[in-house]
Amino acid sequence: MTVIEIHNLKKSYNPGKLAVNDVSLTIQKGESLGLVGESGCGKSTLARCLLGVEKMDDGSIVYNDAPIAHANRKQLRNYRRNVQTVFQNPTASLNPKLKIKDSLIDPYLQFKDDLQLKHFHFTSKQDFVQQLLETVELPKELADRYPHELSGGQKQRVTIARAISIEPNLIVLDEPTASLDVLSQGAILELLGSLQQTLGMSYLFISHDLAAVYQLCQRIAVMRDGELLDMFRKEDIYHTSRHDYTKELIDIF
Amino acid sequence: MILAIEDLTVSHGEKKIVDKVSLTIDKGEWFALVGQSGSGKTMLSQAIGQLLGTNLRASGRIMYQGDNVLEYPKEKMNQLRGKAISYIFQDYHGSFTPFLTIQQHMEEYLQTHGVHQKTQRKEMMKEAMESVGLEASFAKRYSFQLSGGQLQRASIALALLLEPDILIADEATTALDSVSAHRILSLLQDLQQKKGCAILFITHDWRHVVRYSDKIAVMKDGKIIETGTKQKLVHQPEHAYTKQLIQAAPTLPMRIREVSKS
Ligand SMILES: Nc1ncnc2c1ncn2[C@@H]1O[C@H](COP(=O)(O)OP(=O)(O)O)[C@@H](O)[C@H]1O
Ligand SMILES: Nc1ncnc2c1ncn2[C@@H]1O[C@H](COP(=O)(O)OP(=O)(O)O)[C@@H](O)[C@H]1O
Ligand SMILES: [Mg+2]
Ligand SMILES: [Mg+2]
Repeated sequence: MTVIEIHNLKKSYNPGKLAVNDVSLTIQKGESLGLVGESGCGKSTLARCLLGVEKMDDGSIVYNDAPIAHANRKQLRNYRRNVQTVFQNPTASLNPKLKIKDSLIDPYLQFKDDLQLKHFHFTSKQDFVQQLLETVELPKELADRYPHELSGGQKQRVTIARAISIEPNLIVLDEPTASLDVLSQGAILELLGSLQQTLGMSYLFISHDLAAVYQLCQRIAVMRDGELLDMFRKEDIYHTSRHDYTKELIDIF
Repeated sequence: MILAIEDLTVSHGEKKIVDKVSLTIDKGEWFALVGQSGSGKTMLSQAIGQLLGTNLRASGRIMYQGDNVLEYPKEKMNQLRGKAISYIFQDYHGSFTPFLTIQQHMEEYLQTHGVHQKTQRKEMMKEAMESVGLEASFAKRYSFQLSGGQLQRASIALALLLEPDILIADEATTALDSVSAHRILSLLQDLQQKKGCAILFITHDWRHVVRYSDKIAVMKDGKIIETGTKQKLVHQPEHAYTKQLIQAAPTLPMRIREVSKS
């Protein structure tokens, strides 16, 4: 089953140059799709168009068989709930004035009227916060702290906990480990892998690091200069039919 | 041996940021210093060129050509820096002043180090730009007119201008994506082989270590916890922390690649 389809997406910031040039891709339910390419190739632009924070010039995004462009308010709200994000810089993603517990519960409060959670069952908000912290392997005491009292890796765990709290269908992860220390990078990749096993949501995992993408994803898409060059299943990474540019990326690792 | 660090300690008040570190770097070798952020790598490397802030104190010995350069007066060290020991940093923007072109930087650099002939300077600059794969016309640009990868190339050109004995590269590719990083590092490897300079390569990415270095030292909490040849550390790491660092860096499966190549 398909979670999301992107058809012929085009986006340009400057006349004459397309940041995303006619890219189409689909993400299946429960799958993790990796999007890899050099910095500036258009990965984040694609993600922002998908999230609706950037207006695309051409193309369409289809969610639940309905084009987002024609969605009514209720459908849009449903889309916003079901497509969550984790960005590179967790410090920028967390409100510095809110305690961790308040940041964690925020998406739930926003969407609770439409929610029927399958995985999380809780007796109180406090109970929910504790469960979320536990799910991302953080100590419970962190609930009452402020973001600046946490390490980068801990903050990224909080933004991940927040994203999964409303059990979305898809999480867009845009370089989620890029600003972290090496050891935290490895740990976050592992956490993301195991969360997907338990919760079954899909990922669009964006990174310039092919080896990281390989570790987490079942399918890999390669972009260069705004274009989608190659798309393959993980086990076909060394297949002779790979694009020359993909082979170049492979040779780095 | 080109540089020997003996019992180097860098302290901030009572706190030891670098704690009795000893290591030797041989002529022309690629020496990797690996560790998590905060382990003291930058402080160690800055102690070598007397670049530490005034609130920090370095003690011990850093031996270069028979001298303990920690004891050099500032002026003498300034002369050594660039000529014998030069640096490239993670923040390549910081290596350039925004209101000077790349060429003006090189001009100034060569002049302060005693290259007084204009034609000679011109020749050296042209060669330097070529050697890092930048078009000569880039020299007329300001730093903000170059991409990250281009700017790091320009800073390498600048750092190697006077053919130093040792280049200290402190997380020089950390701010770049993995593709640009790889291109920069293979360029550095080529230049190193041509010019025979040693590289003190500071990184937290084990994959870069495996690919490029001859010798490796692993740093944790201000101490070197394990050191040896690449062969030794990659295949028989002793310390649990070294193993952790190796584990944390994602890699592609090797075996399948070998099969598909044959
Ligand atoms: N807000 C913007 N305004 C103008 N140009 C932009 C903007 N965002 C991105 N770009 C340009 O679009 C291209 C793709 O950028 P981006 O999507 O951020 O790439 P990536 O995420 O792969 O590094 C780049 O050339 C970048 O400079
Ligand atoms: N100017 C300074 N004054 C005091 N402490 C510092 C200074 N710079 C760095 N430190 C501290 O020294 C330790 C080592 O830092 P650093 O050498 O930058 O680590 P690394 O380069 O391995 O990430 C850190 O705990 C850091 O907070
Ligand atoms: Mg991006
Ligand atoms: Mg450092």
